[in-house]
Parts: sequence; C-alpha cells; structure tokens
Amino acid sequence: MQQFEVYKIGPEINLGGINLSFTNSSLFMIISSGLILLLLFFGTKKKSLVPSKIQLITEMSYTFVAKMINDTAGSSAKTFFPFIFTLFMFVLFSNMVGMLPYSFTVTSHIIVTFVLAAFVFVGVTVLGFVKHGIKYLELFVPKGVPIVLLPLIIIIEIISYLSRPVSLSVRLFANMMAGHTMLKVFGGFVISLGLLGGWLPLGFSVALTGLEILVAFLQAYVFAILTCIYLNDALNLHH
Amino acid sequence: MKKIKEITTRLEIAKKKIKNLKKNNSESNAASLGKALKISTELVAAVVVGSTIGYLFDNWFDTKPLLTICFFFMGVAAGILNVFRSAKKMHKKI
Repeated sequence: MQQFEVYKIGPEINLGGINLSFTNSSLFMIISSGLILLLLFFGTKKKSLVPSKIQLITEMSYTFVAKMINDTAGSSAKTFFPFIFTLFMFVLFSNMVGMLPYSFTVTSHIIVTFVLAAFVFVGVTVLGFVKHGIKYLELFVPKGVPIVLLPLIIIIEIISYLSRPVSLSVRLFANMMAGHTMLKVFGGFVISLGLLGGWLPLGFSVALTGLEILVAFLQAYVFAILTCIYLNDALNLHH
Repeated sequence: MKKIKEITTRLEIAKKKIKNLKKNNSESNAASLGKALKISTELVAAVVVGSTIGYLFDNWFDTKPLLTICFFFMGVAAGILNVFRSAKKMHKKI
C-alpha cells in the first residue's frame, strides 16, 4: 500500500555496501523527535507556579512515566528514567504523527519496532548479567521443579525469554499496521458505495480514527510498561 | 454563615464525585485494554520463536521435520507459560 512505502529522499548514500540513504521513514523519525524536543523545550522554559497548557502537558508526561516506573519496577529502576521516558515519547509521537493525513507511520514497519525491542532486550540481558553475574541464569530455573523435568523446563523458559523482543515488536507493528489498513479499507468502501451507501462506512472511519488515536497512545504505554517489567526482572531476581 | 455551609456541602459532593471517577477508572481504564492486547501477542510470539529455533536446528543437524515439531510444541508450552504468568501478575495487583 502506498502509505507504507519507503522511498529515498535526496541522493543515495552507500557506506561499505550498506544502503544508508535518507528516506521518508528517517524524515518522520526526525519530525517526531523534533516535536518532542520542541514540546520539552517550551514546556520547561517558563517554570511558573501556575503552569501554562504546554507546561502542564510536559509535567504530566513526566509524572506519568515516573509513576509507571515506580509502580512496576520499583525505586531502584529510577536511574533508567531517561531511557524509558525517551522510548515512551518516541513511540507515542511516531504513532501520533502517523495519524495525520499524508504522513508516514514509522512504527508500522517491523524493522523499526524490532530494533527498539532488541535494544531493550539486549540492554536488559546485559544489565542482568552485570548486576547478578552468572546467577542471572537462575531466571531459567524455576524453584521446586523435579530434576527429571528440568531439561525440558529450561528449554521452555529460554524460548519464553527469547520470545520477549518478538512479542514486544510484533505487538506495536501489528497494531499500527492493522489500524491504518482498516482505515484505508473503510475509506475504499466510501468511494465504491458512492453517495447512496457510503455514509455508513464514512461513520465507521470516523469512529475508527478515534479508536486509532487510543491505540496509538495505548501501544506506546504498553511498550514502556513492558520495558519496565523486564527491567524489574533483571534488577530484582526472584521477586 | 449560610454561604460557608453551602460551600462545604458542595465541596463534599465534588470530592465524592472525584472518588467515584477514580473507582471507575481503576476498573475499566485504558490499561486493561492494553493488558488484553499484550496477552494475545505473547502466546503467538512464543510459538513463532520456538518453531524458528526448531527449524534452524533442523537445518544444522539435518533432521528435517523432527526438531521443528518438537520445538513447536515447546513454543506452545512457553506461550501458555507466558500467558499464565501475566495473568497471575494481573491477579496479584487486583
């Protein structure tokens, strides 16, 4: 579909056989990062006691993420606040920018979401080994399992651990992709049913747009909260 | 004096309203929808990862369909384990 196509903007850049051209995907990543920077810059510029609207949004997003980390990962995860805040805001803004007409949804491509999830996965695993050493492998050995069953259980636990980045990335990608495809399909119905029957799918598309905005926020929230849960597993073994 | 009484009663009503709103929010807010979406993908992802590992091992050891089948079922088990764990975590919070 045309709205999911990635195309080059400007000249082709090849570095050692790797295609590093600037695409529309990179452009929209820069736009969403720029929007975040603008929001945070103007939100923290005037620190008035009675906050303006933009300051209120900034402060609310800060407390929202801080509370989320505190609730799910405990106070020891406070040091990872910048990482999770960045992740949350980036996913949120990419999803929301994708809701605008004629824009491109960065998170509707699995490679983008998979890289984000892989960063979380590798980071959490490295953190676990740094913090607990070889004892981190105890995560794969649940307590109170008979020795006969242990090899099977360990394999199952390892598969379950490896499925984390897959489920994390597929969830975000599938939700964004499916939502945008659905909007397109209903838009197509409006045209093909014409002036007589086109009103019903038009109403549906309006309702679905609202749902999509909810999903865009929700997926960013789920992405961030799962990162917190994985961080919690790495920081506090055997909770 | 009358005005102060009126204000206090109005304040109490407003406070009650906020309390009710908070109650409703904790029951049916967006977070529960997020949890539902989370669980459905967890099951699928584990099956996919298990089958992929089986397929890779099959290519490695030249035992074509055997390990794929074994690891597929282990993936299913891992998926169910994932779902079971997140359901348990939710239950604890409630």
